[in-house]
Amino acid sequence: MAGSALRRLMAEYKQLTLNPPEGIIAGPINEENFFEWEALITGPEGTCFEGGVFPAKLIFPPDYPLSPPKMQFTCEMFHPNIYADGRVCISILHAPGDDPMGYESSAERWSPVQSVEKILLSVVSMLAEPNDESGANVDAAKMWRENRDEFNKIAERIVRRTLGIPT
Amino acid sequence: MRALAISLFSVALTTIVVANAYYQKKQFYPSVVYITKSNPSMAVIYIQAFILVLLTGKLMSKVFFGQLRTAEFEHLMERAWYAITETCLAFTVFRDDFTPKFVALFTLLLFLKSFHWLAEDRVDYMERSPVISMLFHMRVLFLLLVLGSLDFHFVQHAYQSTMTNGASVQLVFGFEYAILLTMVANITIKYVLHTIDLSSDAPWEDKAVFLLYTELVMGLIKVILYVAFVAIMVRIHTLPLFAFRPMYYTIRDFKKAFNDVILSRRAIHNMNTLYPDATPEELQAADNVCIICREEMTTASKKLPCNHIFHTACLRSWFQRQQTCPTCRLNILRAPTPTTQQPRQEQRPRPQPVPNPFGAPLPFFNPFQPLPNENAQAPAPDANQAVPPTTPPAQTTIPQPSRQGGTQQPPLPQFTVSPFMPFSFPRFMSPPPIPPQNFRSLSSEELRRMEGNERENVEARIKCLQNIQVMLDAAVLMMNQYTLSIATSSTMPSPVPQTSTETTNGNAEPTATSNSSKETEEPNDNSSSSGSSASVGSSNASNHASVSLTETDSTVISPEEELRRRRLQRFQQPVEQQQ
Ligand SMILES: [Zn+2]
Ligand SMILES: [Zn+2]
Repeated sequence: MAGSALRRLMAEYKQLTLNPPEGIIAGPINEENFFEWEALITGPEGTCFEGGVFPAKLIFPPDYPLSPPKMQFTCEMFHPNIYADGRVCISILHAPGDDPMGYESSAERWSPVQSVEKILLSVVSMLAEPNDESGANVDAAKMWRENRDEFNKIAERIVRRTLGIPT
Repeated sequence: MRALAISLFSVALTTIVVANAYYQKKQFYPSVVYITKSNPSMAVIYIQAFILVLLTGKLMSKVFFGQLRTAEFEHLMERAWYAITETCLAFTVFRDDFTPKFVALFTLLLFLKSFHWLAEDRVDYMERSPVISMLFHMRVLFLLLVLGSLDFHFVQHAYQSTMTNGASVQLVFGFEYAILLTMVANITIKYVLHTIDLSSDAPWEDKAVFLLYTELVMGLIKVILYVAFVAIMVRIHTLPLFAFRPMYYTIRDFKKAFNDVILSRRAIHNMNTLYPDATPEELQAADNVCIICREEMTTASKKLPCNHIFHTACLRSWFQRQQTCPTCRLNILRAPTPTTQQPRQEQRPRPQPVPNPFGAPLPFFNPFQPLPNENAQAPAPDANQAVPPTTPPAQTTIPQPSRQGGTQQPPLPQFTVSPFMPFSFPRFMSPPPIPPQNFRSLSSEELRRMEGNERENVEARIKCLQNIQVMLDAAVLMMNQYTLSIATSSTMPSPVPQTSTETTNGNAEPTATSNSSKETEEPNDNSSSSGSSASVGSSNASNHASVSLTETDSTVISPEEELRRRRLQRFQQPVEQQQ
């Protein structure tokens, strides 16, 4: 019998393929390695990220689902909760106990109940509603708070870039 | 492409150097002497050797591993850099022995080390790979055999050399190869465990435990080896700085393995003692999928106090990380356990350690709402009497009921009973004595006198907390009972529910004996009413049964009954919503 992490990832992959949530595609990059996934996330409608298709990479730890995966956008992103290198900083991706920003309640943290689907849905809602208290990208948080027009302009540029439209 | 160009260039250079030497000296031995004497020629020869080693390494890794995964390669590079810096450090210690042979031995050591790392990564990957071919097994087995025998040979060689020639660099090699030998043993054990697991169709639950103990034992052996090595080196040479980083990591890993074993043991112990196995009916009632592994629960499963059910093995590995329910995050170490051993708990102190009386917040609510205030206002009765007039006037102006009595009997705090509490406070609840606020104003004799009293007071406080705990247990039990009696009366209109509720009553009653009589009769009433409703409307559907239950109650008009009826309704609501 294969390892439990592998079996669970296979089950989640099957589930995501059979019932894909709207606007989200995810799966292993290579079917020989289930611990590295790629995901495509569509920008939520009615937000400044609407229309964009954002590629991201998910790296699962060997002890998944006891520990959370890591998620990193592979395209350029400008968002209060995404580091400049694309790493996503939301509470569902943090195990209780480690709190890089010191603001998260443990109720939203990682636990085996969570899943790839829930992570991706949280990321979609994060795109729609940034949490500007988290300082993953301080510039973006500040701009989101104080200069929304400028923020929207940058977001639009990123959306166009992900679609391959020249800006 | 670039690698090929470099290798070709290096071969060409070497040929030129050798040809030049031979052209000048015409004979073999003089040519060799010429090359070794000339620094540029030696440099070329060294580079050639280095490239040869790299090429051999590539060939070997192709033979034993095929294509390296990116992660494996990165891991290898990272570790190689550390190893190279450590080797350079080691060179500074042994600069007297700096000969080509010595350099060659160190290179060989590094070379073999990298194969150990790769083998380790590969075997760890077994658990995560969906396809393990026959070729994989052949490669791993052959590699382990080769590495193991080489390590063994070098350890033996180093041992004999040290025995005959005394301590030398060979000591370092012997020690390094001994470490590598433990690594081979570790990898082999892991490989065997993974292979057994892969060959069976059902998940092997104890594998995690075996792996844990393997890690612990191997960690211990490595730590002993490192400590022995450092001790020997310090005695005969100098401080082996180059061994410190790996030693630090080994000790850290060992500590982690030790912690893991302790946590795992605790988790297993908790699971075996505190949580019941889930019955087939409970598995049927739940949706039967373990939320941790997303697989069906057909094998051993456990039910937590919050009624969430998981595989025993899944829960065990989770509890090593956190002692919470994965679904609802209930802290299972602090949660009250509704056990059947309720009787006479008020006399017997509970085995669990009592939390710090005033530090930790109480789980549900604070029965002594005025406690923090009184803490500031009212010192303990005895201390009060002895308070000299220097005490702040604010304290004396506040009316203190304990003052008139001045006895050992502590003051009675006013209870603020939550409306959700199905019973008022029983008599055995003696309120905690309050510690005096200011010790500075007391003389040493008074303090000594107080010490004795304080001890009693602390004991009383602990007892009080124990009582609270018992009460909370009882509260949980009663809640269960309410839901159970309602559920049974509504689902099974036969005499069976009556007996079942009565048995749970029997369990609950002893805790409630010291409660007021009103409280003890309540559950009885509850069950009898459910029984009567069952007998009256045996064909009724679930909703009817619960309605008739409330109706029978409402025929009796007394304020107490009215209150109870409302409480019952409150408990019924969630149950009905669930159905
Ligand atoms: Zn499970
Ligand atoms: Zn739970």
